[in-house]
Amino acid sequence: MQKIDTVSRQLMLESLKHYAEQKLPFDFLRKSDAENYFSAEKVKEIYKTLGINLLLIPREYGGLASSTSDIYRICQALARIDLGIATAIFATFLGSDPINVGGTEEQKKYWFSKMARENLLVAYGATEADAGSDLIALKTRAEQIIKDGKITHYKINGSKMWISNGGIADLYTVLALAPGGPCWFLIPRDTKGFTQLKHEDKHGIRLANTAGLCFENVIVPAENLIGLKEGQGFLQAQAVFGYTRLMVAALALGAGQEAVENAIIYANNRVQAGSPLSHKQGYMHKLITPHYIKFEAARSFIDQIAKILDTNNYGQATEGAIAKYYASRAANAAADDAIEALGGFGYTKDFPVEKIKRDVKITCIYEGTSEIMEMTIYRGRWQEHLKTRGNFYLDKAKEISTDIYKDIGGKALSLGLNALNDILEECRLNRLTRHQHITLELGRLIASAEVAFAFIKQAQSGSVVEGCPFNLETIKTMARINAKNVALEIASSGAKLLNSALEKPTEKDLYISEIAKECCGIIKDMDSISSVLKDTFRK
Amino acid sequence: MNIIICLKQVPDTAKVKMNPDGTLIRTGVPSILNPYDHFALATALEIKKQTGAKIKVLSMGPSQASKVLRLALALGADEGYLLSDKAFAGSDTWATAYALSCAIKKISPFDLILCGQMAIDGDTAQTGPEIAGQLNIPQITFCSNIEEVSPKTLTVKKLIDGGHQILEITLPALITLTTPHNFVFPYPSFTDIFKAQEKPLFTWTAQDVNADINKLGLKGSPTRVAKIYPPVQKQKGAVKTLSADDTALEIIKILQAQKVIK
Repeated sequence: MQKIDTVSRQLMLESLKHYAEQKLPFDFLRKSDAENYFSAEKVKEIYKTLGINLLLIPREYGGLASSTSDIYRICQALARIDLGIATAIFATFLGSDPINVGGTEEQKKYWFSKMARENLLVAYGATEADAGSDLIALKTRAEQIIKDGKITHYKINGSKMWISNGGIADLYTVLALAPGGPCWFLIPRDTKGFTQLKHEDKHGIRLANTAGLCFENVIVPAENLIGLKEGQGFLQAQAVFGYTRLMVAALALGAGQEAVENAIIYANNRVQAGSPLSHKQGYMHKLITPHYIKFEAARSFIDQIAKILDTNNYGQATEGAIAKYYASRAANAAADDAIEALGGFGYTKDFPVEKIKRDVKITCIYEGTSEIMEMTIYRGRWQEHLKTRGNFYLDKAKEISTDIYKDIGGKALSLGLNALNDILEECRLNRLTRHQHITLELGRLIASAEVAFAFIKQAQSGSVVEGCPFNLETIKTMARINAKNVALEIASSGAKLLNSALEKPTEKDLYISEIAKECCGIIKDMDSISSVLKDTFRK
Repeated sequence: MNIIICLKQVPDTAKVKMNPDGTLIRTGVPSILNPYDHFALATALEIKKQTGAKIKVLSMGPSQASKVLRLALALGADEGYLLSDKAFAGSDTWATAYALSCAIKKISPFDLILCGQMAIDGDTAQTGPEIAGQLNIPQITFCSNIEEVSPKTLTVKKLIDGGHQILEITLPALITLTTPHNFVFPYPSFTDIFKAQEKPLFTWTAQDVNADINKLGLKGSPTRVAKIYPPVQKQKGAVKTLSADDTALEIIKILQAQKVIK
């Protein structure tokens, strides 16, 4: 079946941008943020005008059946407009995921057609007061109602919290525990006994409605059980974790880029001590340039994983966690520095960076906190390390130690990956992973290493990622800087990490002095990237 | 009714900055549909609504220029044609008008050709009139609106210094359009963009449109560019906000200081 092609994707992004310029100007967003209100009608207007809600709906039911590569670009662009609105739209995508993954053909036909035809707002109801990342603690119950020996209905009791679109959705996919195990139910808003609680007064994404849900003897027909089989709920949720977390990574990336680009434009115009701030090395190297390098690294990683998901549909749970963890942390650090970069102006609500800083924090929290991501990354790669008998990172190190990676930081990162392997081996031999402290830190180092690896692979591929505003030379320079920084970070953090858990210092040198030697030229490369950034983002 | 619209993909000049040597900084500058052509397209779509006209869109440029044609198809145009060939490279407005007129002859029949007043990258406003010249059909330039459409004639509003004229023209004809200041450019929905993937879009070479190769590219271009440079910027004047009386006194003081009055 026909897919959305590159030109269509570009045109969709342009239509979205123009829509936002016309209908969602900053003053309006700022007012809505202050009032903690953005109506369901506004979200529906976006659906109706653009048809953005059709992206995840299969073609045969009136949708556009977009790929993961399409959706991540749209999520990134939405987040540049407003992360709250992006969340509301993303929640509709998320809400339809269980149907996509586990729905029967008949369910897909009925519900997707209805969602497309009526521009339904959808919510995804999983989280409860005691069941966040630990969904096993789920308390919402679905009781079978049996007539003539056949299950005709389910009676649902319980509550959900922090549900995006919770107060405004037309349709809810709700996780509840049935006798045969957890399952997803489709519950329309007007179902008797189902109430939506107040919109939360949040730190950020205040344009996204977030509310609790309450179910008191809510009766739903048995055909509203997704997949018509009990006990599939967790599997259906887990199947798309790689995908959904990749989307959060794209949301973080978009918001972070918007913050930093705002700061660069400001720095180009703000003259202090005789020259624009963007001409000052200290300012750029500290507050701007490192962040944009991380964004380009994240973009490469997200794009590569999206392409894998376009072929395989599901899985990539560890990669999704890496993308989300890396991009959300990079975006938060960048938004924080964007305020710093604008000084007093940045601290006011007159400039968008203050709002972005509050908004972007959510990307470290929803779809699993950064700490859950660290655990997921560690667990996924620890298994790989054991399964390959320590060859997982050695193979990667070998791959990039060849000449073709020489000018883009291949040697430095290769040493870094060797160091990472040594760290993992030391942890295994000394049973250090009994410390949760160590496992989380390993998650952090692994994420940086794998994103840096993806980045230099991208730089070596001879082309830049679609949507990247830089040429290949700039990407190569960024990849080189990043590879060196990451390698040094692995070696130095690794040394501290191991020694802090060991009785005697590790005998592994983690290639620290060799990596340090590879760091020659970073400042010159940073100067060249700073110059490109100041020329690229100007008004 | 058959309408042909000539579209050009241009760098978004609102985002272009100049180097001190007068060359353009093109890094990160997006390519867009020339805004005047965008208005011409919107005008044609209005005519289509009223008359059921068939709209064909035509552009010349590298393969990336097909994006503006796809945008037009998504907005409601019926067919797209891209002239793309190394033989076209370096063409000035005259050679471009020749190439486009060759394509128009092949696309024929047509009743109306719409062009933007000019492209925002070159600002020449020559290509449209030159197409009319090459095709030997009547033309009206600098129109802000098409007032009335009938099978044989068109009534248009042409802007002139200090006012406008209402003119009637016999079809087939070429009209160039200028964009009203408050015009909101239409952009298509995701669904229309997707559907446009299946609309006919043809790429033609110089040979496909039976163009004489000697009349194309640098060879066929009489224009010689001596130098491109940004105009000298005038100094900003002073702005003062005062009451009417104080303003009068202030003006007298300035004129006296400059010895215009005593």
